[in-house]
Amino acid sequence: MVEEALLAQINGPYVCPAQAGPAWRAACEYGFDMSLVEDALRKTPEERLEEHQRALNLVLEILAARTLHFPHGSR
Amino acid sequence: MVQDDKALLLRLGQHHVEFVIIGGVCGIMHGVSLVTTDLDVCCRFAPDNLYRIQAAVKDLHPYHRLAANKLPLELTDELCARLKNLYLQTDLGKLDCLGEVAGIGDFEAALRDSVVFGLSYGDFRVLNLDAAIAAKEAVGRPRDLEAATQLRAIKERTQA
Repeated sequence: MVEEALLAQINGPYVCPAQAGPAWRAACEYGFDMSLVEDALRKTPEERLEEHQRALNLVLEILAARTLHFPHGSR
Repeated sequence: MVQDDKALLLRLGQHHVEFVIIGGVCGIMHGVSLVTTDLDVCCRFAPDNLYRIQAAVKDLHPYHRLAANKLPLELTDELCARLKNLYLQTDLGKLDCLGEVAGIGDFEAALRDSVVFGLSYGDFRVLNLDAAIAAKEAVGRPRDLEAATQLRAIKERTQA
């Protein structure tokens, strides 16, 4: 039996920590998923660059596919 | 489309280009979660350094990506003396070399406001957190302000 509190965490969005400072809270309130930043801060700068490169490669693949399917920029 | 920031940084380092990483990649290195599609660096705009940039990318079919007709990168002493920025497209992606950083100043100012990040393939100078925030706020586009919002949060979290 899954407890309601755990289920809420599983289903819910990122919850800004209670002890977060004003800048962190502002970023949360803006709508950023700050769990991504928390993940990044656990990595070294080199690991951050590598992860960014993987994300960028995916973005570029999608852009290339869009150009292939919509060569005249109709979408 | 290719954007290989590591390969571009390696080449700049191997050719002893004097530069500081700015822009989106600077933010990434500090922990920002947003994706950026070019590599921005602030460089010393002296002829010797500009020729080093050219040497670093010479076999990558570099051209001035904002100029008409994909004007190839072919530096001369006269051109070097008049250049303020180099917006390059190469076979490894976009490389924007700027003579000044908004909100910070020229290369010397960027250098003063930088920190060294040691990577396995070299040590690279990157704008420090305060300078990165100031630069993003000075540019002021929505995406820059978003990055500044994350950078301020990162500063608060890491320098508390």
